[in-house]
Amino acid sequence: MDPKKQLLPPKENSLFKRILKSYEQKQYRNGLKFAKQILASFPEHGETLAMKGLILNCLGRKEEAYNFVRQGLRNNLRSHVCWHVFGLLQRSDKKYDEAIKCYRNALKWDKDNLQILRDLSLLQIQMRDLDGYKETRYRLFELRPTQRASWIGYAMSFHLLQDYDTALKILEEFRKTVQKTNYDYEYSELLLYQNLVIRESKHMEEALKHLNTYESNICDKVTLQELRGELLMALGRTEDASEVYRGLIKRNPENRDYYIKLEGSLGLTTVDERLKLYEELKEKFPRAQVPKRLPLNYARGEALESLLDPYLRAALQKGVPPLFTDIQVLYTEPDRVQSIESLMDKYLTNLEETGHLCDTDNEYKEPASILFVLMFMAQHHSFLGKTETALSLIERALEHTPTLIELYIIKGKILKHAGDYVGAYEALQEAQALDTADRYVNSKAASYLLKANLVRQAEEMCSKFTREGVSAMENLNEMQCMWFQTECAKAYYRLGQYGESLRKCHEVDRHFTEIIEDQFDFHTYCMRKMTLRSYVELLRLEDILRSNRFYWDAAQTAITIYLRLYDHPLTSNTKENDINTGEC
Amino acid sequence: MRKGRIELGDVTPHNIKQLKLLNQVVFPVSYNDKFYKDVLEAGELAKLSYYNDVVVGGVCCRVDVLDGQRRLYIMTLGCLGPYRRLGIGTKMLEHVLNFVEKEGNFNSIFLHVQVNNDGALDFYKKFGFEVVETKQHYYKRIEPADAHVLQKTLVKS
Repeated sequence: MDPKKQLLPPKENSLFKRILKSYEQKQYRNGLKFAKQILASFPEHGETLAMKGLILNCLGRKEEAYNFVRQGLRNNLRSHVCWHVFGLLQRSDKKYDEAIKCYRNALKWDKDNLQILRDLSLLQIQMRDLDGYKETRYRLFELRPTQRASWIGYAMSFHLLQDYDTALKILEEFRKTVQKTNYDYEYSELLLYQNLVIRESKHMEEALKHLNTYESNICDKVTLQELRGELLMALGRTEDASEVYRGLIKRNPENRDYYIKLEGSLGLTTVDERLKLYEELKEKFPRAQVPKRLPLNYARGEALESLLDPYLRAALQKGVPPLFTDIQVLYTEPDRVQSIESLMDKYLTNLEETGHLCDTDNEYKEPASILFVLMFMAQHHSFLGKTETALSLIERALEHTPTLIELYIIKGKILKHAGDYVGAYEALQEAQALDTADRYVNSKAASYLLKANLVRQAEEMCSKFTREGVSAMENLNEMQCMWFQTECAKAYYRLGQYGESLRKCHEVDRHFTEIIEDQFDFHTYCMRKMTLRSYVELLRLEDILRSNRFYWDAAQTAITIYLRLYDHPLTSNTKENDINTGEC
Repeated sequence: MRKGRIELGDVTPHNIKQLKLLNQVVFPVSYNDKFYKDVLEAGELAKLSYYNDVVVGGVCCRVDVLDGQRRLYIMTLGCLGPYRRLGIGTKMLEHVLNFVEKEGNFNSIFLHVQVNNDGALDFYKKFGFEVVETKQHYYKRIEPADAHVLQKTLVKS
């Protein structure tokens, strides 16, 4: 390799600069044209060869791309351009570790190259090489101390390494330099991020002081109050905390969390204390649902019945389809179940006799009340395993209002609980036919078809909502529709079609890989937009991404199959069976 | 506490099964596929009634031209048993009456009612309909087979 051959005369040098420009502006054809011109007189020019390869890669000609880039690099191992290009190529192939090595080599020849340092830092955070990330951010900070991203990135590298003190020092220095505007959301986000770091450093007193100092600059008032409540609780200032939670409840009386935290801050322990609190809150917020619902979790016996009675009657008068789902958590204790059942029985008798839910009732006779009682009782008995009773109740409800689609769904659910998967999907198909524009019912029907191992029909059902012109299976995969894929994998497993089942499991696995890769774009985006709290949250989510239920499900199915195949390898006979049952 | 909400909605290929189901339950007569095919083309002449977002009623009409007379024929107008006497029928009939008034080129509205259906007779009389004829053996498979023809003559604007 002759280093002199790698230097271009001025004319070609300016052509080379035009290649770089064409690449940046995605004018790949032009880029190739200029490269051809240079290579005509300097066929050995490494950087040009590398750039040509990089552009070919963008045009999807991967194999050629690798050849040119490798050749270019061989011709000029001292060029940061060649190494950078090779790194970019590897990165586009998701070979992040290899790419990091290339960038490091590139930096050997041009240690202050900002673009390479930035690209390297992105890969390091993506790979969670936090020490490497810190070093690179330090270099960038040194080179560009006036840039906002330099400060933030540098501080964050310490935060992620749990060196809170250094992170906070950098953030505070940076905060002082920020020029604030009137309503400055980015400044507000910076403050909230700073507060997050203080809290994680466990200096709660400091965090509270910080919050108070910058209160007027924080735009997200709800978060401000929630944090304040949390900090006051952590500092044992419960009385102040309770005031904060009362304020939050006033702001949004439908947030359960605020009520639970209010209870905590008031130090309520006995049932009576709690019930008294909710009596007070019900009066204060007569239109809110939560203060009516929460005490049902605490009360027992007569107290429970006296609370349940108005609660259930209001829901039945109004017609609240998910009433059972709402109440279901109370079914852990037989006494409570008994209370609910006797109340419901009483309503049914009253409605049959007078048309009212209770005899002292002078309300408007709601014709659908009896329907909702029957619907509730059907679910109630299904929950208790009394399928016959449940079914006869749901039939009565269907007689009353055969056009209420929820009833068919409940009927399907009752049958599913009883193990009748065929009856279950038939009920769901009826529901689906009544409103073919309802995607929820459509999905539910598909999921019940899968429970009955009818994969082809399930796919057909879904196809009513997938993109036209593509097979539904393909489109569902494209949309990362994981409930379908995990259920489908299980159906194939039950059918003994292990190959098909594994295919679905691996599709799910690929979604998770893809989600982790999608993270890449956020490294630059979040820094630029200052959404630092969400960014840190995202990084932490990605770290535990595969604990997600869908992944768990797919992994479990796949492991079961692999173990089975290990214990009982397929013979030519079993394979044939596999194909024969393929017509499901 | 307030009464439930009553609204009218279009019949579409997505919900036409609900209309079919409703008619099966409400009327002793069954209607063929052509009936439902035409309903989908009928626009404002076919409507579903919703009570708190649940379908409980439906109305289907067609335009009838005889001897140069444009008449609106109400083929079906019905509501599920438990939801009667709540104003759902009135809402649907008012919709039809408003429609013919807006169009302005109808001579009359008419329909058939089984002779023993007092409820229906009272209902339509309230809106100015009169029995103009009684057809013997109008219905084929139900008893009584005779039907009154109810008609409301419209003053042309």
